[in-house]
Amino acid sequence: MSKKILVVEDDEKLRSELKIFLNNNGYDVEILENFDNAIKEIIRINPDLLLLDINLPKINGQYVCKEVRKNSSLPIIIITSRDNEIDELLSINYGADHYITKPFNVQILLAKIASLLKRADYSINQEVVDCGQFKLNISKSLVIKGDKKIELTKNEFKILRCLISSRDKIVSREDIMKDLWDSESFIDDNTLTVNITRLRNKLEELGIKELLETKRGQGYILRREML
Amino acid sequence: MKYREFLKDKILQIVLLMFAVITIEIFLLAYRVDNFIRIYIFISIMGMYLVGLLIEYLKKKKFYKNITVTLDELQEKYLITEIINTPDFIEGKIFKEIVEQIDKSMHENVNKYKYLSKDYKEYIELWIHEVKTPIATSRMIIENNKNEVTKSIEEELDKLENYIEQALFYARSNNVEKDYYIKKSNLKDIVNECIKKNKNELIQNKIQIDTKKLGVEAVNTDAKWIVFILNQIIQNSIKYKSTKIKIYSEIGKENIKLYVKDNGVGIKENEIKRVFEKGFTGTNGRIINKKSTGIGLYLSKKLCDKLGVAIKVMSNEGVTVKLVFPNNSFNEVLQN
Repeated sequence: MSKKILVVEDDEKLRSELKIFLNNNGYDVEILENFDNAIKEIIRINPDLLLLDINLPKINGQYVCKEVRKNSSLPIIIITSRDNEIDELLSINYGADHYITKPFNVQILLAKIASLLKRADYSINQEVVDCGQFKLNISKSLVIKGDKKIELTKNEFKILRCLISSRDKIVSREDIMKDLWDSESFIDDNTLTVNITRLRNKLEELGIKELLETKRGQGYILRREML
Repeated sequence: MKYREFLKDKILQIVLLMFAVITIEIFLLAYRVDNFIRIYIFISIMGMYLVGLLIEYLKKKKFYKNITVTLDELQEKYLITEIINTPDFIEGKIFKEIVEQIDKSMHENVNKYKYLSKDYKEYIELWIHEVKTPIATSRMIIENNKNEVTKSIEEELDKLENYIEQALFYARSNNVEKDYYIKKSNLKDIVNECIKKNKNELIQNKIQIDTKKLGVEAVNTDAKWIVFILNQIIQNSIKYKSTKIKIYSEIGKENIKLYVKDNGVGIKENEIKRVFEKGFTGTNGRIINKKSTGIGLYLSKKLCDKLGVAIKVMSNEGVTVKLVFPNNSFNEVLQN
C-alpha cells in the first residue's frame, strides 16, 4: 500500500505539480483546498506525512503545525519561502520534522520524505530490495545473487540505485553525477568512468553481465528485461 | 575662548565706559574736587567693571571649554545637547534651545529616511518571498516534464535565483538592524550546501571539486549568510573559467580559516586591492565575462564585516579567497 501524503499549500499550481511529482514517485497525494478548518481536516484525512506551507490564507502554518502536533506524531515537513533562522527554529520547536525553503531541490525533498516515512513506520522492511535477477541490501550496500554476494562502495551503490530507479530510460552521465552530488560525493567525470567500470566488474563477478548498457554520447541504460 | 578675543568682543563697551569716566574726570577737575575723590571714582568704576568682565570671562570660558572637549570626545556629535548643562547666561540659554530644536528637526528627518529605507527593505524581502513560490512551481513543472528544453530553462532559473538571492542580501546588507542569527554551524555542511546549489553549472562546466582537506570544523556564524558569500565566490570561479576548485580549511590558534582556491584566469595584481569596490569588474572581468556586475565581492565583504568574518582575496595562478572565522572560545565564553 502506498503512503498518503497531504499537501497543504495555497499556490494552486505548485500543489498540483507537487501532486504529479509525488504520484510519479509512488505516493498517494491529497490536497487541501480550503484552509478554513485546516487543522480538523488534517486530522480527519490522517495522512502518513504532511507537507505544510507557512503563509496560508487566514491561518499560519506554524500554528497549524503546533496544533496538529498536540495530538498526532505524524511527520511534518514545512515548505516555505521564509528563509530566516527564526522561522526555522520556531517551526522545529512547534514540532516540524524538516524545514525546506522554496525553491527546493526536489530530490532532497524526496529523500527527506522517504527517510521520515521509513522512520515513522518500522513495520515495512525496506532493507532488502528484490530486483529480479539479484537483490540489493540497502543498509549494507550489498548485491546478492543466490548465495554469492559482493559489497559495493558508497558511490557504486548509488550509481546502481540511480539506474535501477529510472530503468528503461537513458540516464545521462550528468544526471548520475547530479544524483551523487546531492549526497555530497562531488565526483568528476573521470571518477564516474572509473566507478562505472568497477561496478560492471563487480557485477560480472556475480555473473550479472551486460546489465549496464552504454549509449554513446547519451549515457547509460538499464533494461527491465535484464533484471 | 582666548582672553584677547573676549576683550575684542567687549571693546565697544570698554571704549564707551572709558569715555564716560574721562568726561566725569574732566568735570571733577573743572570743579576742583579733591584728588583723592577723583582717583577713587576712577578706580572704583573701572575696577568694578574689570572685575565684572573677569567673572563673566571665567564663566563663559568654563562653559565653552566643557562643550568643545565633550564634542571632541563624542562619537554621535548630535547628542551634545543631552550631555551639557544649561548655562546660566542668557546667550547660552538661547543658543542651547536653538540647537535642541535643530537636533529635534534633524532627528525627525533622519527618522523619515530610516522608515523609508526600512519600508523598502521589507518590501524587497516580501517580494523575494513571493517570487520564490513561482520559481519553486517552475522547478516542479520542469521536474515533471524533463527534456532538453526544460533543462535549458532550469539553467536559466538557476541564474535567476542567484540574482534574486543577491538582491535579498543587498537589501539586508544596507540595514542597520541585526538580521543575522549566530549559531554553531558545521563548516563542511555549509560548503556542501553551496556546492550542491551550484551543481548544475559545476557539472556542466566539468569543474572538479576537491574537498578532501576540508574538516568538519564548527564555527559560530550565520550559516545562510556564509552560504551566500561562498556562493558568490564559487560563481566567480565558474565565470572565470576555472576547471578545478579546491576548498580546504585550517585551524589556527584563534580562528578557523576556509580557503577556496580556483585555477581560473585570476585577477591582475594592480587590481586586487579594488575587488571589494562596488561595481568594480577589472580587466579580466570585462574581457572574459561581459555580464560581470561587480556586486558579488562587494556584497560579500560587506556581509563579512557585519558577521565579523575576515575576507581576503589573493591571486596567483587563479584566485584564492580566504575566510577567517573568529575562534569559538570567545563566543563560548559569551554563551556561558
